[in-house]
Amino acid sequence: MDILEKIPSRREVIESFKSTGGKIAAVYPYHYHRALFRAFDILPVEVWGPPGIDTTYGSSYLQPYVCSVVHSGLSFYLSGGLDVVDFIVVPHACDSLQGLGSVYIDFVKPKQPVFTIYIPRGRKDLDVEFLSKEFESIFNRLKELTGKSVTEDKLMEEILKEEEALKKVRELYSKREQISLSDYHFYRVVRSREYLPAEKFMEIADHLLENFSDGTEREGVPVIFSGLLPEPMEILEKLEEIDGRIVADDFACCGRRLYGEGKSNNPFVRMAESILNSPPDSSRGATVDERVEHLSSLVKKYGARGVVFYIVKFCEMELFYIPHMMRGLKERGIPSVYIEVDINDPLPDQTITRLEAFVEVL
Amino acid sequence: MSRVKAIGIDVGSTTAKIVAVDENGEMIWRYIEPTDPRIEDQVDRFLEKLKEELSISDEELKKIPIVATGYGRKLVHQAKKKLTEITCHAKGVYKSLGHGGTLVDIGGQDSKVIVISNDGKVVDFTMNDKCAAGTGRFLENTAMRMKVPLDKMGELALSAPEEVKISSVCTVFAESEIISMIAHGVAVEPILKGLHRGLISRIVAMIRSVGLTPPLMLSGGVVKNPAVRKMLEEATGQKVILPEYPQFMGAYGAALIALESTKSEN
Amino acid sequence: MKLIDTIKYRLTVDVAGRAFLRYERFLNARRLKNARFKSENLAPPLRISAWTKELISLHYFRGRYVEGHQPVAYVTSGGPVEILKALGYYVIYPENHAALAGARHAQMELIQSAEEFGFSQDICSYVRTDLGTALTGKTPVGKLPKPDLLLACTNICQTVLHWYRVLQKIFNVPLVVIDTPFVYTEAPPHAVEYVKKQLENELIPVAERVAGRTLKEKKFKEVVKYSKDATELWLEILNMGRHIPTPISIFDQFIHMAPIVEMRGDKVTVDFYYAMLKEVKERVKKGIGSVKNEKKRVLWDNLPVWYKLSRLAAELADRGVSMPISTYTYAWGELAPLIDIERGMESMARVYLYPILNRGTGHKLEVMRQMVKDFKLDGVILHSDRSCKPYSIGQVPQRNKLMEEFGIPALLLEADHNDERAFSEEQVASRIASFLEMMEVA
Repeated sequence: MDILEKIPSRREVIESFKSTGGKIAAVYPYHYHRALFRAFDILPVEVWGPPGIDTTYGSSYLQPYVCSVVHSGLSFYLSGGLDVVDFIVVPHACDSLQGLGSVYIDFVKPKQPVFTIYIPRGRKDLDVEFLSKEFESIFNRLKELTGKSVTEDKLMEEILKEEEALKKVRELYSKREQISLSDYHFYRVVRSREYLPAEKFMEIADHLLENFSDGTEREGVPVIFSGLLPEPMEILEKLEEIDGRIVADDFACCGRRLYGEGKSNNPFVRMAESILNSPPDSSRGATVDERVEHLSSLVKKYGARGVVFYIVKFCEMELFYIPHMMRGLKERGIPSVYIEVDINDPLPDQTITRLEAFVEVL
Repeated sequence: MSRVKAIGIDVGSTTAKIVAVDENGEMIWRYIEPTDPRIEDQVDRFLEKLKEELSISDEELKKIPIVATGYGRKLVHQAKKKLTEITCHAKGVYKSLGHGGTLVDIGGQDSKVIVISNDGKVVDFTMNDKCAAGTGRFLENTAMRMKVPLDKMGELALSAPEEVKISSVCTVFAESEIISMIAHGVAVEPILKGLHRGLISRIVAMIRSVGLTPPLMLSGGVVKNPAVRKMLEEATGQKVILPEYPQFMGAYGAALIALESTKSEN
Repeated sequence: MKLIDTIKYRLTVDVAGRAFLRYERFLNARRLKNARFKSENLAPPLRISAWTKELISLHYFRGRYVEGHQPVAYVTSGGPVEILKALGYYVIYPENHAALAGARHAQMELIQSAEEFGFSQDICSYVRTDLGTALTGKTPVGKLPKPDLLLACTNICQTVLHWYRVLQKIFNVPLVVIDTPFVYTEAPPHAVEYVKKQLENELIPVAERVAGRTLKEKKFKEVVKYSKDATELWLEILNMGRHIPTPISIFDQFIHMAPIVEMRGDKVTVDFYYAMLKEVKERVKKGIGSVKNEKKRVLWDNLPVWYKLSRLAAELADRGVSMPISTYTYAWGELAPLIDIERGMESMARVYLYPILNRGTGHKLEVMRQMVKDFKLDGVILHSDRSCKPYSIGQVPQRNKLMEEFGIPALLLEADHNDERAFSEEQVASRIASFLEMMEVA
């Protein structure tokens, strides 16, 4: 049986969620907390592009040197793709997403309320304090907008639910080698968390763990991918064709969001603790050494033979780290390759050739 | 006494054009040929031809004002004034069609979108950025690569039932993409259609950045390509209007400005 | 700090260097006194230029000998430098150094070195210039001292966060990040509190430890006072541009802004801008314009194109077009009213939160709107700077609004502040020509 049949599409999820009176929030990349919205019966549905849409719409607001994730994200709204949503959320991750949030508020002025979330870079108490207040102010604004008197207990309940779902994602990753699914299928499952309610996601994950763990060894050269997202997802099929496989990732949409658990009994502090306890990543300005350390520990843990930096064109925060990270990995005997993509374009032949050559060498 | 009251010369990166107008600003003579690297010589030849065909004497020619436009305008020493294609195209198209709107001109080196007011003034414009993918040269280069005659390109593209998406917008990379597609056995027509789509989406992005003020008008050598027009209409949902001599709008506008200058002097 | 280094510093910089540079300034000043209109249409340089040159030369000259004598910090241009100054740091602004390299056409070689190391062409060209220096040691100013401390404040862009992580990797010294939450509309109280706590709990202890000194309140207040005074003077100078014809152009401002960026918090900077204000007022009195026969006045948005400054100035002057003001130079003055010495760190937290680059795209439109009115402008050039996304995003709708509201032409000019390869000579020339034709000054 195909696991994909079990996963409803974004559209289906949105329709069924709305049919029971729920509302939808479109959320841009990439750090935020799902419970904050679920507590108000709002389902966060993430907008990563999507790839393959008419991006000329975005040109009414953005220059051509803004990356394809942001360009597509705005074009999607402007071409009516977000008409069904009730809220728009733009977390702060980089200059371009910062600009997107600002352009939304000041110029696009959508009918939906726009929320921004500033994600601090540090991991200390004062950073947790700031983020918890940031969450609290969103919570208060949601209260006002929805007219719902959501209690902190209700919020805590949702947080615990999301923590359970997060555990499930971790389990999928840790048992990846026993799950007989192609990378394409696997990432379709993992990424369904971008829009599925936690309870539905766990159902699918459980089904997967029960029915697809037959213990047969996966084949192909094991590699780790680092970047924003595996788009166009065709890359995963191509990787399989050229005999490679992903054993772990440092994708913004996946591996970088394997947050630690919060400890506090205050729901806002707990959410902040969790988000700030994320693996080191570029948007939060981790040091070069922390990121090298993180990637090499993934390599070691999952037995990868190399790292693929799969970078969206114009993504400055990723590009900065590349030279020193590649050197740092090399010093530890880990080969890596750098590939640039535009999520809106089909994969150029040159990209695949480069990846193929890298896998062959490994 | 000659009917010619003013002359406009447009030295573009691909073709050079000359237009002569009468006292009412009607285009009474025009001529076009590929741009010669020796621009001065070419302009001299143009003027010789004009003299001959309209039987104008040297004395008379000296009195006729000339305005030059296009990339090579600075080398037209016979011109009393040199202006950019933006101003000249707007002028020419406005006079030809009698109304304002949004003009798209796809040239060899540059593509431009010009918003013209109802009284014929340029209110806004934008041009393609540094890369050549939004220009006529982009289509030309790739047609050459694929060994397709330039004048057949549009038709072939339109005949394709489907299209492939060309991944890279830069001319150089697009070429290498095409080579690998051909190597993979993809037919020529869908590739051509994809190429046109790439060009059109660049143009549409430019239109969106200034905002579309209808009607939509098209000029430049590329209008001979039926696919460009049709696909531009599809992408914008607007009917595209062409002036009678779309390739001569720059030179025509230049001639009109030259004519105005004589009137203001008098 | 070492005694021997201090003796060396005192002899070379304080005794020999200062005297030499002072003498050179005297010569330059004499030359400038009799200067005539340089090009046919550009006003002669301000006499104060001799002093600017002395200040900049002395600053970088000190840098050559400062290691061991004073602690050295590399700081982002919007960073809380007042704290470091009060602790006796010698401060380098890599952005400023990169701009200087650009203005002297020395940047491309440095950019090349950074790219050879693996830095992408799609990252900021200041960074590539500066990393070229950090990686090779080459610089047009002779030698840059190594930093003891790095201080990155995110109030100008997120780029600096990543840039300074790379510097930290290269120099292996402490980096303090002051994270200033982007102000979409208004800074919430928890953001002000957050910045204040970072200054107090993070920056001060680390900076004190590295310098081996404790921050004295009296000294800090003195530095803040100088900072405020200089900032106010700068603002007053810029506002002289409201006169017709404008006595100074943005091209003057780009040159003379170096001290307000680089030497904010020093007494000499206050003296310098006081003198500059006097000279500019003199010009107003005599009716001297920055261009001869000023016909049109145009606003500049975004960073300058450093390597094309003089060309652009002359080209516009020839058409009688002046550029009285820019959002960029204004950014160094507009915060003056926020500095409140008595309210200490909290007021500083606000100052660091509110630069134009840390505020929404609507705020920038508002600033430009006000400038068009106050400076009586006839057109706007928005430099769409590939290297500066936070400054450039929003320009497309901002431009449309300005045209709509004021009915004046506005040009989005694609270029790059320091990378000449992103500058297409022909294309820029034809865009500017068309823009001038729209203003009917062709």
